[in-house]
Amino acid sequence: MRNVGIIGVGYTPVFVSKRKDVNLAEMVSESVEAVFRNTGLSPDDIDAITFGNMQTFEGVNLPHLLMSEHIRAVDKPIIRIATGGTTGMSTLQAAYYYVASGIYDVVLAVSWEKQSEGDSQVGLAGIVMPEAMVMVQHGMDLLGGRGMGGMGGGSTGAAAYQAMSYLHHSGADPEHIDKMAALERSNAALNPYAHLRKKTTVEDVQATPFISWPLRYGHTCPTSDGATACIVASEEKAAKLADKVAWIIGVGCCTSDPSTANFIEGQMTDPADQTVCKIAAKKAYEMAGIEDPAKEIDLAELYDGFAHQSLMWLEKLGLCKEGEAHKLLDRGVLNIDGDLPTNPSGGVFSTNAIGSSAMNRATECALQIMRKIEGEHQVPKTVKKALAHGWGGLFQYVTVMILSDTPRKI
Amino acid sequence: MAFQMGEETRQVQATWDVTTYNYKVDGRGIKLLADGMKDKKILGIRCHNCGTVYVPGPPFCRKCYIPIDEIAEVKDSGEVVSFAVEMADVRGNPLDEVRVSGMIKLDGSDTFINGRIQVDDWHDVHIGMRVKAVWVPEPQGNLSDIDHFEPI
Amino acid sequence: MERKVAVVGYAMTRQASDIGVPRPIMLFELVKGLFDQMGITRDDIDTFVLCSNDFQCGRTISNVFEDTPVGAYMKDETKVEADGVMAVMYGAIRIMSGLYDTALVVGNSLGGSEFRPYLIMDYQLHPAYDRQLGILNEPVTAALQAKAYMEKYKITEDHLNKIAARLLRNAAKNPFALRGKEDATPEYIASSEYLYEPLRELHCYPFTDGACAVVLASDKRAKALTDKPVWIKGFGDSIEGYFLGDRDLSWSRSAKVAADRAYRMAGISNPAKEIDVAEISIKFASQEPIICEALGLFPEGSGAEVADRGLAEIGGEMPVCPSGGGLGAYPFSAMGLIRVAECAKQINGEAGDIQVKDVKTAVAHGQDGFCAQHNAVMVLSSEEG
Repeated sequence: MRNVGIIGVGYTPVFVSKRKDVNLAEMVSESVEAVFRNTGLSPDDIDAITFGNMQTFEGVNLPHLLMSEHIRAVDKPIIRIATGGTTGMSTLQAAYYYVASGIYDVVLAVSWEKQSEGDSQVGLAGIVMPEAMVMVQHGMDLLGGRGMGGMGGGSTGAAAYQAMSYLHHSGADPEHIDKMAALERSNAALNPYAHLRKKTTVEDVQATPFISWPLRYGHTCPTSDGATACIVASEEKAAKLADKVAWIIGVGCCTSDPSTANFIEGQMTDPADQTVCKIAAKKAYEMAGIEDPAKEIDLAELYDGFAHQSLMWLEKLGLCKEGEAHKLLDRGVLNIDGDLPTNPSGGVFSTNAIGSSAMNRATECALQIMRKIEGEHQVPKTVKKALAHGWGGLFQYVTVMILSDTPRKI
Repeated sequence: MAFQMGEETRQVQATWDVTTYNYKVDGRGIKLLADGMKDKKILGIRCHNCGTVYVPGPPFCRKCYIPIDEIAEVKDSGEVVSFAVEMADVRGNPLDEVRVSGMIKLDGSDTFINGRIQVDDWHDVHIGMRVKAVWVPEPQGNLSDIDHFEPI
Repeated sequence: MERKVAVVGYAMTRQASDIGVPRPIMLFELVKGLFDQMGITRDDIDTFVLCSNDFQCGRTISNVFEDTPVGAYMKDETKVEADGVMAVMYGAIRIMSGLYDTALVVGNSLGGSEFRPYLIMDYQLHPAYDRQLGILNEPVTAALQAKAYMEKYKITEDHLNKIAARLLRNAAKNPFALRGKEDATPEYIASSEYLYEPLRELHCYPFTDGACAVVLASDKRAKALTDKPVWIKGFGDSIEGYFLGDRDLSWSRSAKVAADRAYRMAGISNPAKEIDVAEISIKFASQEPIICEALGLFPEGSGAEVADRGLAEIGGEMPVCPSGGGLGAYPFSAMGLIRVAECAKQINGEAGDIQVKDVKTAVAHGQDGFCAQHNAVMVLSSEEG
């Protein structure tokens, strides 16, 4: 085992709802060119590539084949990873393993989505299409929602169940979700790579209609076009190639059962229970030698498709006690200038090119540690250790990565 | 003057056609459940090793990783684990009347089912609330035999 | 290599045109059976690597309903969306990182009964260009590739027939293969219809359902799990450009680069001598000489001679695909995994009627893309060394 660090990050120039000026391959290549520009490296320096997106969102099977030249992969090893919402982090973790194993020294991880080229609702419905059809055959009232077995939760899916359950068990109020949403959107306003960039007040959020109580329209994430590229390197190579490194000192990943819309075989997980998240975090902390995450973690980038999730993840990841996250929010602890800045980038809640969303959590942590943030959302405090988190599947996958300004003692 | 590439973007249509798949889905658990509902029974499968009762029943226990087939009957009453109040449809258009759907843990079961909860005022619904099924007058042996749930 | 990794267990389903059960049941029975056979439980597996594909499953996030059937509930799990050799490679890399000691790699595909492979391949075409034109599809590109090789090295359709006949004869002796014919002759192959000239129906892979599971372990754990570990000595993969016009289709640059990587890692300098058997993934008979030559098993352009002299037969100089390979069955995501498992079988002397004598070192190969755009190569050996 050896130390691995992130030595550079590249984004597409913007994350927006529709990139009409570029095609799939051109868009992804923008992020790859950006990471080469930012690091001063060239494709010759790269030993291997890890690559991820959710291919049903664009309708292209194995898109790395199509864009092998655009991402400078020709004659190089390349592996395609896809795990739903966690894809970006799984792809970066693959790059971590590639280097940690000693097989490759410098690996490029690329993740992206161009949601404007497909239909995201269809893409998401495609997760349970066959099972839903069987349930309909057995008399489930899919659209009317009457009777038993309907998908439930309305158009936000089980996220509303999750939010409700979280509020109940944590003692937070629905207004805390509004507040978290306003905080993150306002953070995003400072981030040139965020999609929804508008300084937002709690009143702005509260002016949006409820979709599925307790979730409002203003609590939901956008669908974005964008790509992220990230270069990781071994300790030896990093010393030669980079002036600043964000070390990957902990990785964790855990899979639960598909806990929503899993009526076909009995769902057994309360979506706000998140034992799965606790297991993934525990593994990452153990590897990183972190005993008290609430004290030792300086910054968190969490995967929040819906605004209540940031608060929930803080608790499940052990960054505060259960039921305390909304109190930290009220005290300003989660602000950019607070003690535990949370989603200073604006989070997935403000920018969601799905395949890249989980990777962006880690790259934002890395840039904060390196103090290389472009834009106004660099946190004032010194970030020694940061936590990046990914979430996906049918509420069932959690990935965690701990980044640090110093390498692990091995 | 050299030839310059200007902006050139074309939009073309193509589909990802799910009708070209012949999915096989294991429907034993859902059939057991639906068939039982004709007699107003709710049937699932119990793991003989850990005792977990799944409704509908899967062919194997997720935790013990062994095949399971012991039929278990659960009650048609239970507890609200979580709920949501639907106020708009998938595209964001407001609904004429709000409807409450809940994740309900039926008594005797370790899993949750989704069901509609009928109340006069949705503000009365809360987590931990006890509810019971309201059956249609003549059950047909399908999932709509329970019309909705109501507070006990 | 700091840590050594071995294949310590493997199991595959019968490869069929319709496996007859839903995917989760197929996976549960396969993996549960493998665990029972090895005397282990899912708690003995540190990390799970699935290999499936959203388009093949017709499902966004194809692993959503595959995790619990393979025993990954509340465990570390990830999914490789590529050929099965890539998934085994990634499983090995995860173990080599030092964070895990065991890995279960599972691949599956229901190309026989659930989806239409040629249609799925169409979704790999450039969506705004090739897919719109409707000229290219999988057998067309394969025919172009076949022509390129045949014209350059003066081989004839008869040679293709000989390759296909050999593979079908091998497949007939492999109880897991879907399509075999004990007495297949070149004439029998020539009696099948042209799909795209020069490719006939029996030159092409059959549409197959199947799954395969492989358990990997570090050197620390391997010997406790089996007395016959098969060591992964080297691996490599490589990709080339997408547009066929930019590629020399008469050989495979990416397979060559991938093999060079794998051989360098395995310390193999003369593959033709040092490798005892090859299990390669070919979709069309015409791909066999191209891949074999890129892997250094036969000299460049030797397709005609290899076919005429029977050098690739089970008893030949360099046995290729004693299992029948891609013409016996081609379950997409499971294909590469099955190649690895077949190599392990050969090394352990468990291959029954298709056993090659004295196998110490074997090479497994997997591919993705049109005309094998992306290739992966893995060297396995009985010697830990």
